[in-house]
Amino acid sequence: MLEAAGIYFDGVSAAKHHVDVRLDEATGYLSFEGQSIGAPQHWRLEELRLLADQPSGGWLTFTRHISGDDEMLRHEARLSLRDGVLNARLREFAPRLHKRDVNKGAGLRIVKLMGGAFAAVALMLFVILPAMADTLARFMPRDREEQFGQVVIKQISWFVSRDSDADLSCKNDAGLAALAKMEARLTANIDMEYELNIQVFDHPMVNAFAAPGGQIVIMRGLIDEAKGADAVAGVLAHEIGHVEHRDSTRNALRAAGSAGLISMVLGDFSGGALAAILAEQMLDASYTREAEAEADKFALEALRNAGVSGTGFASFFDYLLEQQSAALELPFYFMSHPPSQERADKARAFAQKQTATSSVLSAADWKALQGVCD
Amino acid sequence: MSTNNDIHGQYRGTRGELFHLAIVTTILTVITLGIYRFWAKTRIRKYIWSSAVGDGDAFEYTGTGLEEFLGFLVAVVVLAIYLGVIQMVLFFFGLSFVAEPTTPAEVIMMMSLLYLNLLALLPLIFYAAYRARRYKMARTRWRGVRFGMEQGAWGYALRASGYTILMIVSIGLLAPLANFKLEKYMIDRSWYGDAKFEQHGKWTKLYGAMKHIFIGLTVLSVGIGAGAAMESEAMLAIGGVVGYVWLVVGGLYYRVHSMRYFFANRTLGEDIAFKAEPRTWDLLKIALIGGLIIGAILLAIMAVGGLGMAGVMSMVAQSESFALMGLIGFVGAVLYVLLLVLVGALTLVFILQPMINHFVTTFTVQGKDALGDISQRAAETGVDAEGFADALDIGGAF
Repeated sequence: MLEAAGIYFDGVSAAKHHVDVRLDEATGYLSFEGQSIGAPQHWRLEELRLLADQPSGGWLTFTRHISGDDEMLRHEARLSLRDGVLNARLREFAPRLHKRDVNKGAGLRIVKLMGGAFAAVALMLFVILPAMADTLARFMPRDREEQFGQVVIKQISWFVSRDSDADLSCKNDAGLAALAKMEARLTANIDMEYELNIQVFDHPMVNAFAAPGGQIVIMRGLIDEAKGADAVAGVLAHEIGHVEHRDSTRNALRAAGSAGLISMVLGDFSGGALAAILAEQMLDASYTREAEAEADKFALEALRNAGVSGTGFASFFDYLLEQQSAALELPFYFMSHPPSQERADKARAFAQKQTATSSVLSAADWKALQGVCD
Repeated sequence: MSTNNDIHGQYRGTRGELFHLAIVTTILTVITLGIYRFWAKTRIRKYIWSSAVGDGDAFEYTGTGLEEFLGFLVAVVVLAIYLGVIQMVLFFFGLSFVAEPTTPAEVIMMMSLLYLNLLALLPLIFYAAYRARRYKMARTRWRGVRFGMEQGAWGYALRASGYTILMIVSIGLLAPLANFKLEKYMIDRSWYGDAKFEQHGKWTKLYGAMKHIFIGLTVLSVGIGAGAAMESEAMLAIGGVVGYVWLVVGGLYYRVHSMRYFFANRTLGEDIAFKAEPRTWDLLKIALIGGLIIGAILLAIMAVGGLGMAGVMSMVAQSESFALMGLIGFVGAVLYVLLLVLVGALTLVFILQPMINHFVTTFTVQGKDALGDISQRAAETGVDAEGFADALDIGGAF
């Protein structure tokens, strides 16, 4: 039978008791007695627990499992044993030293609270913040919105050219005049809320953006790749839709509200910022898909009013589809655009219903627009 | 004067064990997308608490990851609403944040917005800080007996907000007053078993500890003043750097010496007193040497890693495969996260633990014979762990 000296605290007072400890493997008990503790104590080995994550190589503290109110379901008494033969044998022989005891009903509480927290966060991210963003975007003073839009444009220009001083906008007068004609024709029958400020950037990317405050940027690449003036008109009408819906102002407001929330939920563990960006992007994409569909609707309506065929708009989607199958397939949720096939079909179906249409620009004007960056 | 009625603190945690624990728990945290962080924090605390030993008896941390997690969930529900709304409204009014301020009026508006933002959060942060300390006390035991702290988080938040405003208005001159009153508020509500802590002393006595802050400020203003008067840039630079460094070290000196004063004038029950004697220079040395070691390790890793990455990239550039490039990007992101994990663990091992070691081993409890008369205090259930503190990111690594 192994024996050793130990230190015992009864959990009732802070008084220290020196005890002699005995391990009885036959009966499965750890027993100890000392002058100051009165009757000898007998702890069943199944109930014996070792406190977790202690430094090794010195004294180790043991306790007893009980059921009750204690946060760890442990008895308040503690027994410390110096590292040695008894200590080592005990760690080998006692069956449940490292068992983590959890209160009954804890599982249900976790599920309930997690459900509540999840619902609150979801409600905030998907209902309250977007609704607030909609309202606030409507109340935003126009000049502040424009100021903000200029910063966004500057950022886009920096992003594509990596030069903060670069002026990418194209200045060819004939080209800009043609662009103004296109704008006039598209918005002639629409009661516009924003005064548009449309620029062409000298960059090969096939894309166009709408920034807050009525500002639109078309990349030269889009004009180069377009099948005709009607395709450019379709994309421009789509961007005008974003402007009139205040999509980018709303997005910025919503992002400001949800960014802090997401990083709080994910915590500050290493790389947390990375995860927060991904989550934010996913959220962003779901809003964008909705906004894109709305802008498409606006574009088709504008094309109808202007008497411009939707075939050109459809051809632009065909181009996107081609590009997409050539590039890496991205997961659905990370795409900021809804499936292009669906959008192309919609535009084509719309075009078939149109009766009298004429090209948005004359051949000469289209030629001028193609040379806007020369 | 040391008698055999004194208890001198000892620390027995080792670098290897803590490093291993820190790496394992942080990697688990990353894998579980942050959920494990509550258990990680608890395990690190358990290790550090049980490494602190007085009279041969180790401290014990009895908090659980589950409690932390549940407390966090409760806090999330409250904060989700508060944070989201406040931030968006501030963004709405502060949109000119992004535009460059040109007029003085714009600059003032931006600054006041910034402070308004902070002020709105301040009471909540103080509330959370008190709750966090209360939870930690309730979950700390020594010799089988619990520590504890009475309720009073809102009272603390109110006082702390008031004293903070007072401190700002007095340009920091009343910092000792705020410091002393808030510390006393917490200590006078603290218990070990059925014995009560009490903070004695006077706040004006803390000004002695501030002397190096004043010297630093003097050096700074005299240096800059003289530099400006003599129109000498060298003088300006020397005065600025020396004054600034002096000020930072002076801040540490204040923390150390106010702590000495607080413990020297603190009692537990009738017969137990304390002596804390940390040294500014030793703590500074720990921070500097630890920082150098960590810097050297990171530099070595980045040199090797950068070379490897450059080699791989040149190979990829030749093959022009999108899939391969995506894979490389993913591996790069994983390596980046692992580097952050390593930095956290190294900071814990080379800076935080040595500092705790220093604080513990320079700490003395006087009157240990009276400890035997202290009896257990009732268990505290329903303390909501540190939900708010955790959600607001207060308290650092553990």
